[in-house]
Amino acid sequence: MTSMFGEPIARVEDDRLLRGEGAYLDDLGHDALAAAFVRSPHAHAVIRDIDVSGALDAAGLVAIYTHEDLPGRVGEPLPLLIPHPALTHGRTGYPLAAAEVNHVGEPVVMVVATDRYLAEDAAERIVVDYDPLPAVVGVDAARAAEHLVHPDVPGNVAAHLVQANGDAAAAVAAAPHRLELDLYIERSASTPLEGRGVLARWDTESRRLRIWTSTQTSTGVRAAVAAKLGLALADVDVITPDVGGGFGVKIVHPWPEEVLVPWAAMTLGRPVKFTEDRSEHFVASAHERGQRHQVRVGFDDDGRILGLDVTFWHDNGAYIPYGVIVPIITSTQLLGPYKPGAYRVEFSSLYTNTVIVTPYRGAGRPQGAFVMERTMDAIAAELDLDRTLVRERNFIQPGEMPYDHGLIFQDGRPLIYDSGDYPAALARLKGLIGWDEFEAVRRAARAEGRRVGIGLACYVEGTGVGPYEGAHVVVETSGKVRVATGLTSQGQGHQTVFAQIAADELGVPITDVEVVTGDTRAFGYAVGTFASRAAVMSGSAVALAARAARAKAIRVAAAALEASPDDMEIVDGVVRVKGDPGSGIALGTVAVLSNPLRYAFDEAARAATQFVGGDLSTPPVAEGDEPGIEGREYFSPVRSTFASGMHAAIVETDPDTAEVKVLRYCVVHDCGTLINPRIVEGQIHGGVAQGVGGALYEKMAYDETGQLQNASFMDFLMPYVSEVPERIEIDHLETPSPLNPLGIKGAGEAGVIPGSAVIAAAIEDAEGFPITSMPISPSDLFELRRRHAASGETANASQTASVNRAG
Amino acid sequence: MRITATVNGTTHQADDVWPGESLLFVLRERMGLPGSKNACEQGECGSCTVYLDGVPVCACLVAAGQADGRQIVTVEGLAAGGALHPVQQAFIDAGAVQCGFCTPGLLVAAHDLLARDPSPSEADVREALAGNLCRCTGYEKILDAVRLAAARLAAGPGGDGA
Amino acid sequence: MEFLRPESLGEALAARAAHPEAVPLAGGTDVMVELNFARRRPAALLDLTRVGELTGWHADGGTVRVGAGVTYAELTGERASGGQTALGRLLPGLAMAARTVGSPQIRNRGTIGGNLGSASPAGDCHPVLLASGASVEAASVRGRRQVPIDDFFTGVKRNALAPDELITAVLVPAPGGPEQFAKIGTRNAMVIAVAAFAIVLDPVRRRVGTGIGSAAPTPVRAVAAERLLAGALAGDGLWESRGPLPEQVVTEFGQAVSAAASPIDDVRGTAGYRKQALAVLASRTLGWAWRDYRAAGQQAGRG
Repeated sequence: MTSMFGEPIARVEDDRLLRGEGAYLDDLGHDALAAAFVRSPHAHAVIRDIDVSGALDAAGLVAIYTHEDLPGRVGEPLPLLIPHPALTHGRTGYPLAAAEVNHVGEPVVMVVATDRYLAEDAAERIVVDYDPLPAVVGVDAARAAEHLVHPDVPGNVAAHLVQANGDAAAAVAAAPHRLELDLYIERSASTPLEGRGVLARWDTESRRLRIWTSTQTSTGVRAAVAAKLGLALADVDVITPDVGGGFGVKIVHPWPEEVLVPWAAMTLGRPVKFTEDRSEHFVASAHERGQRHQVRVGFDDDGRILGLDVTFWHDNGAYIPYGVIVPIITSTQLLGPYKPGAYRVEFSSLYTNTVIVTPYRGAGRPQGAFVMERTMDAIAAELDLDRTLVRERNFIQPGEMPYDHGLIFQDGRPLIYDSGDYPAALARLKGLIGWDEFEAVRRAARAEGRRVGIGLACYVEGTGVGPYEGAHVVVETSGKVRVATGLTSQGQGHQTVFAQIAADELGVPITDVEVVTGDTRAFGYAVGTFASRAAVMSGSAVALAARAARAKAIRVAAAALEASPDDMEIVDGVVRVKGDPGSGIALGTVAVLSNPLRYAFDEAARAATQFVGGDLSTPPVAEGDEPGIEGREYFSPVRSTFASGMHAAIVETDPDTAEVKVLRYCVVHDCGTLINPRIVEGQIHGGVAQGVGGALYEKMAYDETGQLQNASFMDFLMPYVSEVPERIEIDHLETPSPLNPLGIKGAGEAGVIPGSAVIAAAIEDAEGFPITSMPISPSDLFELRRRHAASGETANASQTASVNRAG
Repeated sequence: MRITATVNGTTHQADDVWPGESLLFVLRERMGLPGSKNACEQGECGSCTVYLDGVPVCACLVAAGQADGRQIVTVEGLAAGGALHPVQQAFIDAGAVQCGFCTPGLLVAAHDLLARDPSPSEADVREALAGNLCRCTGYEKILDAVRLAAARLAAGPGGDGA
Repeated sequence: MEFLRPESLGEALAARAAHPEAVPLAGGTDVMVELNFARRRPAALLDLTRVGELTGWHADGGTVRVGAGVTYAELTGERASGGQTALGRLLPGLAMAARTVGSPQIRNRGTIGGNLGSASPAGDCHPVLLASGASVEAASVRGRRQVPIDDFFTGVKRNALAPDELITAVLVPAPGGPEQFAKIGTRNAMVIAVAAFAIVLDPVRRRVGTGIGSAAPTPVRAVAAERLLAGALAGDGLWESRGPLPEQVVTEFGQAVSAAASPIDDVRGTAGYRKQALAVLASRTLGWAWRDYRAAGQQAGRG
């Protein structure tokens, strides 16, 4: 039997999904009542009155709830999920607004009716009287603090954090060269094709609550909802059905609806379902990315950074349930593969009257990569050096691993890179895109009147953050292997890769392995799917649990065969003496033997019953042993493992229309040992598409009153097949992680991280003036050209507009 | 109103349908066919693509009353007698599925393309899929799958098109 | 809500007269969105998809009569209507405009009549209809009339139809020369244009037609640009000589088209960018159209 690990095998999930038999949240609960919400049309307002009388005779109406109807903890503000000492002014929203609304889309009234159309019709008839307040929209308005989002939060500052390693200000001041940069990244969002949704059934007889929710953490929802509703954890099951994409937005929990729908199901004694529609998803879930950065950097004649001093402002939206994870990641992962000399970073996380901000694939890293890579390019331009050379000179070298940055990462642990080979990755990237040959390409294009540019960007990504994941592996008497892990899946092919791992560890065909994820009935202890952690955390736990089950199977089989366990192996589902195919016992039979029985429930079970014989001097189950061939193990690494990569792109900009076309896009990617290269490629492709989308098309266009102007797929421009690069050229580097049993690093987010940085660099190279703000539309590029033409700029990359030589 | 339609070769009937309901809602909620997905309700994402009288349309933009008496084929009707259609098989073999939510609509769009043009050009493939949003795959392996299916269909039954 | 489903034009017009509050429904690409998001709950829907008289097209002398129910996919020629596939070749400008509707699913469903009924400033067919001097045929129980396209668009999403009227067809002069259409959007597929432009050159009548989309409250013609170009073509004898267009004419035409627009800043682009985009679109489409005209002349010369 060939090893499954490392093979690009077909996914086990797909057959069902291709037949239209996927079971996503809205495919369940056709008998359920439907919930709809009256949401705030104002970005900031006091609620004066709610008049539901007009809706009371609406067809199909079952119930209407406002904040006042919610008892005890149900109506209280949602939890602040990740407290942090720097988060001095944490505020979270109410499930239904109490007295004030702080963003358009905030839920105010819940309507339950017999179907969704009727629930929406009833909701339309509810009149809420608002007293509008001035809205705070965008980083700059939040900083100015002319108005406050929360009256008791001075300056709109939720959190303020400084980290430093060395005296960056002094290092910058003493450096032979200094630059200042002002950089901005606009909001975007995860935008999975399936929005949020939750279905709840309260079993009035067993008094148990069962919740299905489109989440990235079923155990998180379970704990939060049990606490809100005053139920024992054991009386709440949370099941994650097929999830139609998450990309971060579904890690937030409990969403208001995840509290309200189960509560309504309990209160009404009937199943209730909420399925978010697309316009709700834009205004009532979460966004990310919006940050403004000020960089001061000092460097020597070779371009080596001596000091880096970064101050940034992070727009966290109306509330901050997910804490300061995103800006912490930005502030630490900004460093990428480089040694910054002395480093100081300071951020303020600011409230605005807009949708909350929580991690979206990349989670603060795209901003960090943008800032660091823009800085690298500015240094190269200042010294007239090749951009790759400046990067090379600042790289952490392989021999310097593990490398300690002297900072604290998002998991509260030291920022120490475990492994990586950045010079090798850069060499491959330069070869892949033809970096050294590009000037000839540029000249040839120019001769045809075309304008092209090349750029590159590097990143390092801390993946597989703790605290832990676990797995349970059980060999059934049929020989089938069931694997359960509590971590959820959102379409990344977890069932396939976990089956690959289990099949290899146990020595069984992959077709004999069945994997369950994200179902608290099957595995109750878990954290969730985020931070590129599934393969590292659950994958490692599955490996450890499978190893435990394997050891047990070998011990039981060895006893039955009177052989030494050291001489045993498992091949193709048969436990045998090494090299002796005739000697074996099928794994299913071993499972039978492992469980001493009084009752034979079938023919195979007779072998384990009490009159069969065996050693009568010892107990049937030895002290410290358990019946069955099972393994239950947890994986809890000391800290994150750091994946890395580099992207390069060649773009063409239309001299007349300012349209931007990505001609080539190359990726060198190192996520340690590959479990399934095809799945990893798919993750990179999807990430790159989101990166290109974030660079060229996607933004959240709020007006000054806090109305989102583009809250639909018609106006929020996600890439179609017509917008992605023709082919994404990928090369893998495999630097195994020393921090887990499989040597793996996370791969889920990487593709998106350098997107804005690399496209900005390529456009800058094509246009000859600095690109300091992303995304960039043709209209934006046109206006930049106009501004630079007016200020007498030549097509020569002198960094004047936003990149200033410091005094 | 009562809606009667032939869906995947079987006559389906639904009563008390509000005429402004979408065909998508009727299929999913009243006819027990949830394979077509709802991701935008405005014809932008293509996840609800079905054949209506042989032509791929967004089921979310067809009023229930407009579908009365019509022939409809959904993703559930693509696999003939249990065996996956070559387009579906190619999606597995090319690794074109991630979360699977957009997949039903893409399958119908790709199925229609290859029915009309068994050997489409690269540009034709992109144009045929340009009404379907996918947030997971970046489309590259979906394009691979359509090319693979075209090659296999060209090679004829039993051919692997390699 | 009532669902009216006439099976003939007579029934449709009677229903329209009896239920002026009913919303006409064809491809559903606009109306269904409003229903799905509960933005609109009309008392009745008037389904026009079963009215045979609205489908199909025919060429009659110098005019092509395109039924209101003809879809974008029929305009492009991707889907045949009534066994005819030549519509796209007959009306290339409309075919190009229909092709820029990025989604095949929408092209299969959306109709030219629906596009006119919605009268969006960004409607894809409108610039071509303006450039070619088309007429909209409207009918009611009171009779039929033709509304010149120049008089059809009366405001943002408003048109010249009376409450009891339905659009039955569009009458498009058969082109005697080249037609071009182009639009610019932030993204390629499925995008509402930042700016769109159509040009029709009619060497027989020595006429230049233009149409601008997405850059004013209604789709508009660039009348001064038409005059400028027609004057230059006539003055230099270029219609006859099919000689190369002076670069200055191309540039001035682009500027004149740009000047005819009154765009606004919005999420898709600034007014300045839209004006620039229109100048570029106008110059480019003129270049393509003139190239086509010259090539046709060479072919005729050889034949």
